[in-house]
Amino acid sequence: MSEGYEILTLDEVETAEHRGSNLIPVRYLLGFRPAGVNAWIADAGGQLIPPHEEDSGNEELYAVVRGRASFVVGDETRDAPAGTLIFVEAGHHRTATAEEDGTIVFVVGATIGEAFSGGGWDTFAVAYTLQRAGDMDGCRRIMVEEMERRPESWELPYNMACLEALAGNADEAFAMLDRLAPAPPELREYLENDSDLDNIRDDPRFQELLK
Amino acid sequence: MNVTHIDDLAGIELADGFVWRPVRRHFGIKAFGVNVYTPGASGQIVEEHTERQLGHEEIYLVLRGRVKFTIDGNEHELGQGQLVFVRDPSLKRAGVALTDDAAVLAIGGKPGEAFEVSAWETWFAAAPLVEAKRWDEVIAVYNDALAEKPDHPALLYNLACMEAQAGKKDEAIAHLQRAIELRPEFAESAANDEDFASIKDDPRFPR
Repeated sequence: MSEGYEILTLDEVETAEHRGSNLIPVRYLLGFRPAGVNAWIADAGGQLIPPHEEDSGNEELYAVVRGRASFVVGDETRDAPAGTLIFVEAGHHRTATAEEDGTIVFVVGATIGEAFSGGGWDTFAVAYTLQRAGDMDGCRRIMVEEMERRPESWELPYNMACLEALAGNADEAFAMLDRLAPAPPELREYLENDSDLDNIRDDPRFQELLK
Repeated sequence: MNVTHIDDLAGIELADGFVWRPVRRHFGIKAFGVNVYTPGASGQIVEEHTERQLGHEEIYLVLRGRVKFTIDGNEHELGQGQLVFVRDPSLKRAGVALTDDAAVLAIGGKPGEAFEVSAWETWFAAAPLVEAKRWDEVIAVYNDALAEKPDHPALLYNLACMEAQAGKKDEAIAHLQRAIELRPEFAESAANDEDFASIKDDPRFPR
């Protein structure tokens, strides 16, 4: 195989946890750049697609690759056997549950009129899963790579601070939060309400940040 | 809910023997390129091509059945839930169905750019009408596409090809001139394009 192409078997990929669902992080693994591409896998009764809405202009296509899913878009529910395609425009609440073991749904998404800028949430899901498994080195490596790729993002060091705080690494967490100067306007609300930071909330350095 | 099944999607069998099932057009998707392919009479499911001209990255995901892909001269048999990501646009790629029920989901686009509908979609959509020489309907398909992208050079060039074959000389020359204004390299393509045989002797034919 040359470097110009890659083959992936969806059910052989190690999944990442994201909001109660099992993500097959296709975009992260392949580095596909024109659109967001990912897949989700669940056994019967399990949540496939986390309940969510997309931001303005985001379009998503869901393809049931294997098994059978039950999709809810708005207040409508549909049985979706393998081969079903569901298109959901921005603003519609959507979720899906597996009706058979090993059900896989593939998703493509992007925003109308905008160049796709590379997700980020999926990379974070992979890093979060590694942190939960105790692989802090792996978690840091992924987040550092992503921060190098997108130095303009304040969300990445913020999320890395959360991961360090969850792992009980206060010094590393504050080192990440120190990168957020000048602080974005949303930061204060996050600092006040994010339970991921509970481990470092009583530290005097945290109080300093809130000033 | 905006839902369909791959077996319920309308299909257009192209000359290479594969069937194009236009998912993007079916749903009116504007943010990314996506289609389904199934095998036609020849068993071909993905036409042999490169993405050199468009610079697209592509993913081919097998939704059903088995497919033998040939990528850069290497053969790979893939089944349901397996995909090939062709990162390098210059690599030649093709797929042949190994089972009659095979279906492939194809996703493509150019990194760093907002998605734009490719001219080949209109070419594919008009193909059966071209085959039947139903020129007025062919031209209507192109005009529909141009209504959304009036200055799309490849669409204008292809429309000129169709108009030349339909005997609409004035329109063909006007559209060809505009296509070359927008993309000068089309002048060389036009000089060697059999589709323009009926207008090549016209003094207005761009040279």
